[in-house]
Formats: sequence, structure tokens, C-alpha cells
Amino acid sequence: MGLLEALGLARAPSARAGSAREDELFGDDFQRKLDYLAVVSKKVFAGRMRAERRTKKSGSGVEFADHRDYQPGDDFRYLDWNVYQRFDRLLLRLYEEEEDLAIYLIVDASASMGFGGAKKLRYAKQLAAALAYVGLANLDRVSIVATNDRVMERMPTTRGKARIFKVFRFLTSLEPSGTTNLGDAMKTFVAQNKRRGLAVLLSDLYDPAGFEQGINVLRYNKFEPFVVHIVDPSEAKPKLQGDVLLYDCETGDEREVTVTPKVLERFTAAHREYTQAVGRFCATRQVSHIEADVSVPFDELILRVFRRGGFLR
Amino acid sequence: MLFAGLPFAELAAIFAVAGAAVVALYILKLRRRTVAIPFSPLWQKVLRDKEATSLFSKLKRVLSLLLQLALLALLVFALGDPRAQAAFVKGRSLVVLIDASASMQATDVSPSRLGAAKDEVKGMIRGLGGADRMLLAQMDAVVTPLGPMSGDPAELERALATVAPTDTRADFARALRFATDALRGLERAEIVVVSDGHLGDPADSFGAVHLGDAKLSYVKVGKGKNNVGITQFSVRRYPLDKGRYEVMLELTNTGEADADVELELTGDGQPVDVTKLRLRAGERLPRFYPNLSGASRTLEAKIAFAGGGHDDLPADDHAYALLPERHRAKVLVVTAGNMYLEAALLLDEYLDVTDVTPADYVAKYAAGARGFDTVIFDGVTPATPPRADAIYLDPRGPGSPVKVLGELKQPGFDKIDRKHPVVRFTALDDVNIARGRRLAPEPGDKVVGASEEGPILVAGTRDGHKFVALGFDLRESDLTLRVAWPLLLLNTINWFSDDDATYLSSFRTGDVWRIPVAGDLEEASLKLPDGLVRQVPVHEGRAVYLGQRAGFYELSPRPRLGDAPDRAIGPTTAFAANLLDAEESAITPRDALVVDGKPAGPLEGFHVGVRREIWIYLLIAAALLTVLEWATYHRRLTV
Repeated sequence: MGLLEALGLARAPSARAGSAREDELFGDDFQRKLDYLAVVSKKVFAGRMRAERRTKKSGSGVEFADHRDYQPGDDFRYLDWNVYQRFDRLLLRLYEEEEDLAIYLIVDASASMGFGGAKKLRYAKQLAAALAYVGLANLDRVSIVATNDRVMERMPTTRGKARIFKVFRFLTSLEPSGTTNLGDAMKTFVAQNKRRGLAVLLSDLYDPAGFEQGINVLRYNKFEPFVVHIVDPSEAKPKLQGDVLLYDCETGDEREVTVTPKVLERFTAAHREYTQAVGRFCATRQVSHIEADVSVPFDELILRVFRRGGFLR
Repeated sequence: MLFAGLPFAELAAIFAVAGAAVVALYILKLRRRTVAIPFSPLWQKVLRDKEATSLFSKLKRVLSLLLQLALLALLVFALGDPRAQAAFVKGRSLVVLIDASASMQATDVSPSRLGAAKDEVKGMIRGLGGADRMLLAQMDAVVTPLGPMSGDPAELERALATVAPTDTRADFARALRFATDALRGLERAEIVVVSDGHLGDPADSFGAVHLGDAKLSYVKVGKGKNNVGITQFSVRRYPLDKGRYEVMLELTNTGEADADVELELTGDGQPVDVTKLRLRAGERLPRFYPNLSGASRTLEAKIAFAGGGHDDLPADDHAYALLPERHRAKVLVVTAGNMYLEAALLLDEYLDVTDVTPADYVAKYAAGARGFDTVIFDGVTPATPPRADAIYLDPRGPGSPVKVLGELKQPGFDKIDRKHPVVRFTALDDVNIARGRRLAPEPGDKVVGASEEGPILVAGTRDGHKFVALGFDLRESDLTLRVAWPLLLLNTINWFSDDDATYLSSFRTGDVWRIPVAGDLEEASLKLPDGLVRQVPVHEGRAVYLGQRAGFYELSPRPRLGDAPDRAIGPTTAFAANLLDAEESAITPRDALVVDGKPAGPLEGFHVGVRREIWIYLLIAAALLTVLEWATYHRRLTV
């Protein structure tokens, strides 16, 4: 039984109005895997951590937090009458207020993500959809943002599993375009989202200005970055030989190169060095990081994300 | 360094244009294959490292350009055909006369003198200098250039291969005149004679040949001396007995040792006579074989050494002859009765004689005596001449082919044209004639016999028919009592039918033959001894051909173009041809050759070796450079 049937929304015309590409990208198989991931996530984290997250903000929760002096206008219902009897002081009981998690899925939709048949963007979309589903299933507030050198599009914050089709439609509509500038894009993102939360960055991190800037912007603005580095192994070993004119699919920069086996070896080494640099950067700054190889099935990767921790607490 | 090909200025211009094109192509370059990449900074890092490795990487492209320019320079240089200054001398102009006469068929050297001569010439061709030009010519009864004057060894060797032996003597004077004409105006002219030296006198009807500035070189071929050859061979039928014949031949031993030979005569393929002979050194031995019979057509003479060996020249060991064909002539005799005439005609069994009286002739044959080859009028003269050859004995009246002017008393044959065939073998000087008549020949007629007072024997042609007129009555002379009478009569009949004693039993090779052909033709087919058939022109009733091989020939008349296919053509004529040349049979090679008072020098300047032409090496270098460029390109050394 698919997700639609499980949610009782199979007959909803709006839910069925997915395009052919949506059917292809988020078809029945995909949806079945999402169901499986949701179940697995609950088993893995059951009794250990609840999906809900407590904040330091006092409010109407059930857990006692502190006392403070009564101020005129306060709600009498929170006065601690036992203290008044003992110490003849009007004190107000404060409780921890329970709050749901804000999960921001930041999908890099720059032109480089569409390179090589858009394998990376497709993979990023599947990962984003899966993570969004798990988040929605845990009653978190999920928002998706598409970026290149700016924030291209954003799906407003939503919650509840029934909203997954909205997520699908949003992701399906994304097309790769533009250059990558994570720094500028993240600055816009943090400006638009005052509520802090988990910011999952799904990107190939091909940023000419440096991938560090975007991650640092998130860090400096109290977001919890979770970097999913999308890697296509075929890009590390391009099938090139002889005299070629290379041009950057994002910037359009051209360069004449005579590709020899030795040059190819050097390039592979440089690519490896780049991915390792990403890993080192994240590790040294305690940023959750995972390298997402597009040749690995996305559900396996999601499980690795769960095991890595940081996504669900 | 000199340029034998394009001059330096043109080479420089070609190099400038082509070099500019190469450089332009290098500057423009071909558009590279465009490939998209996701992230160029990664490549920039790689290429920055690569470019920083050494300055040599920048020089690689220049090296590739230099290789291309070097390749171009080699090709342009090759176009100039450069020669070393020391080796650059003006080329010689050579005419090589290759003796293909009969004596060159001698086998004293292997495979033959002509084969050895061709080997010598082949060596000369391979030793030609780069600027030398050579013309090959075959020298026999005529001189035949075998190709244009060329410096191409392959072309010259192809021409050399066409040289073939002939059974003729060489016309040295004609060959020298040809060579001097071909070399006129050319620098470093040289005539090379490759021969055994039996070339005869270098002079012809125009006088001695002058060589001018041309140098004469002589390459001697051959070493043998032993030869016995048939140097004369003739056969004829007896005039009065055509079933029998006699043969005259001559053998010559041109060697320096005595020779025992076996001479075999065959008639129609069957042995007629075999004789063993001993010839002393240098001896010429004539042999006469009278009164032979048993052959009707062909006669051959062959000699072989008694011990089973052979001499050095087999070409003159075999001679051929054809006996004259025997025609059965139809003769009509118009006479009132003449025993002497009838008796004489009985001597030739090949005559069909019909006797008629003058009255019967008028009654039966006045229309012209069709069907007869010869008509003899004895004492009568028809009003109209017959449509046949005719003999008029004592003609009279207006029907006579010659006018009869008056009576002669006791005339005699004071003047005789002894070369005329009708009086051949006859003795008419002392013939006594009681009374005769003076004949008046017309222009074109031949006075064969005449007395002091006037002609009494006239031969001529009227309306295409021959006639002989005898100006006296046989019965009034003692001619009929002499042997000359039947001879005169039969000679006349033979002359009418061209079956006369002047028949040549064989032609001599090397001469231009003029063979009688019956009918009005323009061409005839000549079948050669080797079976080949050639078309030969017919001029004034004779086929003209320069024969160069001994053996039996057959000449077939060939109808004119446009003639009806069923048009009657004449019979096939057969004849024989022989070398029969004692000069050619003397095969001892001569050590020296003298022309125009100057002895021929030895051959110089021919060395078989590598051609000193630099352009070949330049092309090889260009090819190697191309291979180098290919290898370095694929190993990315120059890109």
C-alpha cells in the first residue's frame, strides 16, 4: 500500500496532480521507501529522544522551570500559593514551554547540480523529500529553500505528513540554473528565516567563492548546519582525451586543454582533495557532514544520516 | 650546390607561400572539441600546476611548428633537385646502336651475341648519370629507334627488351647517319656501337659518314670464330624439262680450322641428297647438283657438323628455295601446217596445243581466241588481234601489231638484246635467213633482234596482251634446224606467262622485296616464316616489303576496301628468303672500329651504382620526419 493510500488522500485531485516528472522522481517506489524510512526512524530513536524539542523559553508546559516575582497583570493561575503561605511572598511559577523543531532543507539548484544529466540535483531532491517526510512525520516544521547565488524559491514552513505532496511539487518544479554563491544565498536565507533551526544544506559545494562562506553564515547565525555533500564519482574521472575546449557550465569560462592521462590523474587527485577539504572543514567546526555519493541508493544514505545523528534529537 | 629542378628563386617563393600558410594554420588552429565541466576552478588548479612545471611546455607548440616547417623545407628543397657542385656536370647525349644483324645470333657467348649486347646496354642504362639522356636504336638492314631519348632507366629497359635478331646484314652507314642526325646540336654527343664489328664500310651512296663532334665508342661483343655457312643457294627448272631442276650452292668455312660438315638437300620435306664435305679453313666450296628431280615446290639445304656438334652461327646453316611453279599453258596454233613449229611445241609437256587452219580460226575464234593463253600465227595475220598473248611468225597486212615496211634480203641477227627473256640461252648470231621483212616497232616496243637493215624480232604489248613478231618465214631460214628455235619459242611462251628463267628461287633478306601480285590491289597479306601475318602495300602490281627473316613466305592478295566480298582475287604467291651473305657468316669479332678516319674509343663513364640524386634522400628524410611528428603527437610531446 502506498503512501497516498496510507494517508487517505489518494482521491484528492490536488494530490494526484503531479506532473510526469513528479511521478518519475517521487513515484510509488519512492513513496514506499519513505514509509519504510519513517518507520525505521521511529524504531531507531524510540525511547531515546522524542521528536519534540524543549526550549528554554518558559511558557505553558508541564515541566517546572523557576519562580519569579508576581507582577501586576500576571495570570493568577500560575501563582505558587504554597510559597505564599510559607514565605508570604507572591511568586509566580514558571514552566518550560515545549516547541517543535524547524528544519530547513536548503537545496542547491545551481547549474552545476544539473551537470551530467542532473543526477546530483535529482539525488538532492530525493534526499530532501525523504528528510522532509521524516521531519513532517515527527511533527517538525519543515521548510525547503532552493538556492544558487541567491534564494531562488522557498516552500513556506509546513508540518504534518499530509503536506508531503506539497514538498514533492515544490521539489519537482526545481530546475538547475545560475551560478553558485552559497555565501550570498545563505545570507539571504538567514535574513528571511528568523527562527533558528536545523539547516540541511544539500549541495555539490562547487562554489567559486569557496564553500566555507555559506556554512559559516549559517553557523554565525545560530543555525545548526548539516552538510550533505552531493558527489558524482564520474566527475572525478571525466572521459576526456586530446585537445578540448573546456567551459564552465555555470560561469561559461573557457579554457583550452590537451588532456593526457597524466592530466587526468592530476584532476582526479584535485577532486579528491576538494571533497576531503570539505570533510575536514566540517569536522574541525563540529558541523555535521555526510558525503552523498549519487551512486548509492538514497534510502541507504538516509539511514546513514539517521545514524550520524544531529538530524533527529 | 646547384639546383637541377626548380631554380632557387622559385623554391624560395614556394617556401614563403607554403610556410606562411603553415604558420597561419598554426595561428588559427582548428576549433577544439568543446566539453562542458561543472566546476572550472578544479581544472585551473590542475593546469596551473602543469604550466608551472617547465618552460619547455610552452616550447612544445613551437617545436611542432618547427617540425612542420622543416618538413616543408625538405619537400621544397627536393623540388629543386639539388646536386652537389662536384657531381653536377652536363649530361651526355647518347645514341646506342645495337647490332641486330645475323652475325649477332652467334652463340659463342651465352645466350647469344645479341643477348650479351643487351646485357651490356642494360649495364649502360644503369650507369647513366642523372643528367644523361640515351636513345636506343636497333641496327640491321634499317635503323629502328626503340623509343625517345630518355634518362628514365625503366623506360630505356623496356625499349631494350624489344630488340630482336634479324637475318640481315647491318646498314652501318644508315645507322651512323641516323645517330648523327639525332645528336645534332646536343652537347656531349656520343655514339655507342654495340656489335661484333661486322658492319661493313661506313659509307653509302652519299659518301663516307662524318661524325662531326660526336664521340664514337665501340663495345665489342663475341669471341668465337668457327662457322660454316651456306653463302649461295639457287635452284631453277630446266627450260626444256620443267620436271627436273638443278641446284647451285656454295658453302663457306669462315673459321680458322677445317670443318667436316654434312650437307642435306630436302625437296618438299623429303631428302633429295646428303653429302659429306670437308672444308678447309677459309675455303669457299661451290656445289652444283644437276638434273635433280623429286621436288615440286620447296627445296631446303641444311648443314650440320659431322661430329654432331654445331658451329657458332646457326642462322646461316639453313637455306630455303622455291621451285618456279609449273603452269599448263593453252596454246592455239593457227597454221596451214608447220612441222617445225608443231615439233618444238611438243617439247614442253605442260603445253596444251590446239592446231587450227586459218580458215577455221576465222570461223571459230575470230571473236578473240578466248580461253587460250597464247596464239601463234604462222604466216597469217588476223584482221583483229586476239584477246591473248600472240606470236606472229612473218606477219603481214593491217592486222599486224607492227608495221611491215619492206622486204630484206638475207637478213641476220646482227643485233640481239641478249637480256630479253625470249632470247635467253639462245644462239642466233649465225642464223641464216633467205628473206625477211623489216618490222617497224612502235614506241614502247622492244627490238629484240635486228639485222643491219632493220628489226626482225620485236616484242611489245598491245591492249594489255604481249606479242612477239618474227619478221621472216621459218621455212626460209635454218633457225628451225637449231636448238635456238624451240628455246626461242618456249622462252616466248614462258615470258608471256611470267614463267621465265629469270625466276628468283629466293629473295635476300635485308633487301626491299617487290613481289609480283596478280590483280589490281592496294594491299596484300604476307605470312611470315614465324606464322605472323602482316599487311603490305602493293605498288604498281608488286607487294613491297623489307624482309628480315629467312624462310618461306606466302603472299595473299587482299581485296580493296569496298570491293564485293565475292570478287575474285588472285592466287597465293609463295617465295623464299635467305641470308646468303658471306660477310655475315664471317663472325670473327673485330677489335676496332674506324669511322671517319677515327678509331672508336672504349666505353667510358658508365658505372653501375647508386644514383646521386639528393631529392630521393630529401623525400626519405621528410617521410622520417612525418613519422617522428606522428609519434611525438601521439605521445603528446609536441602538443
